[in-house]
Amino acid sequence: MISKSSTTLFQSNSPGVRTFKRILRNRSAKIGGVLLFILIFVSYAAPLFTDKDPNKTVPALALKSPSFEFPMGTDGIGRDNFSRFLYGGRLSLRVGLVGIIIGALLGTTLGLISGYFGGWLDALISWFTDVLMAFPDILLALVIIAILGPGITNAMLAIGISFVPSFMRLTRSSVLALREMTYVEAARSLGSSDARILIRHILPNSIRMLLVLITLGIGSSILAGAALNFLGLGAEPPTAEWGAMLNSGMKFVRQAWWLTVFPGAGIFLAVLSINLIGDAVSDAMAGTNVIPDKK
Amino acid sequence: MINYLIRRIFTSILVLFGVSMLVFSVIHLIPGDVTMAILGRQKVSLEKVAELREQLGLNDPIYVQYGRYLNKALHGDLGVSIRNYLPVSKAIADQMPSTFALAMSALAIALSIGGVLGLLAALRHGTWFDTLIMGLSVSGLSIPTFWMGLLLILLFSVKLGLFPSISNDSSFADLFLPALTLGLPEAAIVARMIRASMLDVLSKEYITTARAKGVPERMVILKHALRNALIPVVTFAGLQMAYLLGGATIVETMFARQGIGRLAVQSILNRDYPMVQGVVLVTATIYVLINTLTDITYVFLNPKIRLQ
Repeated sequence: MISKSSTTLFQSNSPGVRTFKRILRNRSAKIGGVLLFILIFVSYAAPLFTDKDPNKTVPALALKSPSFEFPMGTDGIGRDNFSRFLYGGRLSLRVGLVGIIIGALLGTTLGLISGYFGGWLDALISWFTDVLMAFPDILLALVIIAILGPGITNAMLAIGISFVPSFMRLTRSSVLALREMTYVEAARSLGSSDARILIRHILPNSIRMLLVLITLGIGSSILAGAALNFLGLGAEPPTAEWGAMLNSGMKFVRQAWWLTVFPGAGIFLAVLSINLIGDAVSDAMAGTNVIPDKK
Repeated sequence: MINYLIRRIFTSILVLFGVSMLVFSVIHLIPGDVTMAILGRQKVSLEKVAELREQLGLNDPIYVQYGRYLNKALHGDLGVSIRNYLPVSKAIADQMPSTFALAMSALAIALSIGGVLGLLAALRHGTWFDTLIMGLSVSGLSIPTFWMGLLLILLFSVKLGLFPSISNDSSFADLFLPALTLGLPEAAIVARMIRASMLDVLSKEYITTARAKGVPERMVILKHALRNALIPVVTFAGLQMAYLLGGATIVETMFARQGIGRLAVQSILNRDYPMVQGVVLVTATIYVLINTLTDITYVFLNPKIRLQ
């Protein structure tokens, strides 16, 4: 019975399953997926790999180079760099994920409202996102940190808000095309409320494009989080986080290469794995666009 | 076309207006009282707090404060730092040339390295070389600027002793590592763009026609294909120059280099709000102006839009 149902599922011809299969077949997605899985696993199963406390300082053991006992050496105040790397990964990955979720939720909501209702509301929201887009690169996140003050939660919020314009614009343009579709008109004439039309009919049809933006965005979000931490505007010491570890390791760049090479490699591999998956997702979604071109 | 230009300029003015409102409100959005945020846990007299409120102009109604802020900003007066009492506009003017030199050098590196690699990848489409360049380009997009900077310091400064790891002026040696750090990830984007754009142009019928007429391949590539493939890159270069002004923040902090990006981070850490407001306002304004100019230039460059 089980095998029958799973076979049916596997042979399903729904566009979602087809796209998912296409992603699974993609070589770069496989490499990215395995890499990401390893990073998440070693971070969250850190106690399996090390029994050392990431925050315990032993000044006598400061700046020891990598050895069997300390696979990634020790830092300036004698903390084990390997356990800091493992535990730090949790926070770096979480900052990226939470950041993009905040951005996606806020941006998509604004985009739905703006595109569906149009008029002055659309003009106001579009103007607001244009204003947010006037701050290049990390500057918007810096403005938000200036307002809220440094800290890891504020850093996540700042990153989230800086992603709002991209999500808002993408959702808005997709809603503009979808709201003219016959099935939306049908739902409207059947008396569906605006909220129902937006959530049941329009959002599910925009979700694929949003998924591409989310996957590609997680990488940028991790980078932005690490950058804020690197600038000293995120995690407070002694919290282990890859960006913050790079910041404190920078002081010892001449004596202890391991303090800059390992945490940086963590960020790089995390972002690379997500970009590889993101590329595959965006390739797989291409050509399966549900919104017909307006000609 | 005139309509488009007017509309584009009008939108930019509206955006700048919004930027000024957002920057102005920084000081009012801080949770709690701004004077307390600035003074921190210092024990100060009530007179000192009143003096600071007066200095920041917090005793007037908010629209009066905004009107005064905008009027002063339009006259080049961005207030006074509450840490060293120097005029904000002077501090920014002092730091700007350094950031500008860094952004320009990074752009030059991005366009030259990215341009050549992207072009070669397109010409050797589907070969191992193409795969290698595209692989390097994905890595370039994934590498954190600050990590690459540290690796470059490890290589060029610590191991080889060729360039200083702290950079303070615009001499070649001082500028090399920061510019490379900022420019290489951009080179990855340029390489991808040029490759995609060249592949697109090379599949066009006029290229086949040129080849069929017996035009030498070098001429086909340089005269017919590359010139057209470069149009999107020109737009990109304009936008990127403005974008690099924001990206300079990390590189400047890392190399302890003068510049407005580092000034912004230090002001945030020092809670020097007038300085933060000034730096952000100036950077965003330059960004919007360059964006607008790039859009307008694009209209002139691209006959398809011009004729509409």
